Amino acid sequence: MMQLTSNTNWETIDKHLIKTEHDIVNVRQQIRFCAKQLNMGIINQTRITTAVSELLRNMYNYGEGGEVLIQKGMVDEHNALIITCSDQGPGIDNLELAMSDGYTSGKGMGYGLPGAKRLVDRFEIESEKNKGTIVRIMKWN
Amino acid sequence: MGETHNIQRIKERINNIEDVLASVAAGDNEARINSETEDDLSGIEAAIDLLIDDLTDELIQREKMQKEVEDKLSKIQEQQKTIFQQQADLMELSSPVSKVWDNVLILPVIGTLDSQRTQIMMENLLEKIVETGCTISILDITGVPTVDTQVANHLLKTVTSARLLGAECIISGISPAIAQTIVHLGIDLSSIKTKATLQDAMIYAMKQNKLSENVKLQTLFTDPDENED
Repeated sequence: MMQLTSNTNWETIDKHLIKTEHDIVNVRQQIRFCAKQLNMGIINQTRITTAVSELLRNMYNYGEGGEVLIQKGMVDEHNALIITCSDQGPGIDNLELAMSDGYTSGKGMGYGLPGAKRLVDRFEIESEKNKGTIVRIMKWN
Repeated sequence: MGETHNIQRIKERINNIEDVLASVAAGDNEARINSETEDDLSGIEAAIDLLIDDLTDELIQREKMQKEVEDKLSKIQEQQKTIFQQQADLMELSSPVSKVWDNVLILPVIGTLDSQRTQIMMENLLEKIVETGCTISILDITGVPTVDTQVANHLLKTVTSARLLGAECIISGISPAIAQTIVHLGIDLSSIKTKATLQDAMIYAMKQNKLSENVKLQTLFTDPDENED
């Protein structure tokens, strides 16, 4: 199992619970705002916002909602925006399969997780059956 | 003789104190002992009166606060009702389909596309296609800030169902940032006609219109010949 990178020096910007589709929209708007504050360009703003949107939707659709933590800090000498999404859902059976293009366990297109991975600079995932899933993504500014 | 009289007096006064305390406990805010004599017991009586004063003051304050809180709560509930109402209204309002030219429908999408909204949007568009008989519809997503796989999926479904009704659907208003994001996500939108701006989409739609008119004219002219043959 992959170990999530973490650092106590990261500054927590905000923390949200995801329960409704409306929460997804709110968090997305905040992510875009944070990205802007970190001087990211419009392309990177859109990328990180879309990646977060994918993760939040997964959480909402499959993980019975969850929690999202927004942080900023230094990662490998990069100034990064760090977003951690965690749920207590059913977990992912086969991570390798879930990370491959076109595979979906539900009604989606199957590009959510692999797509989100391509949109960010670092993508870490940890999942345990019947315990939940944690995804941590980072985008350098 | 005088002693028993005194004890009698004191008993009466203690009974009075008990009565007052009982009525205060029952909720009477006005009950006081109001002793007129000056002796050792009157000090205690005055102190009890003061305590009752404080107590009733607190009670009144608390009732006032409770009422305020209740008022605020009902106000918030009312506001929430308004918000829900407005959300429902917005849902209806935010997907207008209008005919802008012969044979051309436009559906400008603004804001976030969740499942519920896409459903309404799709219904509106399909109904309008059937109602007007238009064969070209333009879905303008200039006002959509984030296109993730779910939104793309919704768009694909809308376009496919429009096609089933015989209408071509063009998606316009894709910004450079969104174009890049879609490619990185790995979504294949090549089956859909897309244009950068609404203007481009309009020009394309009009060209298509002209083409189909020409075809119509041609068939009009060629049909009689074929009959003679």
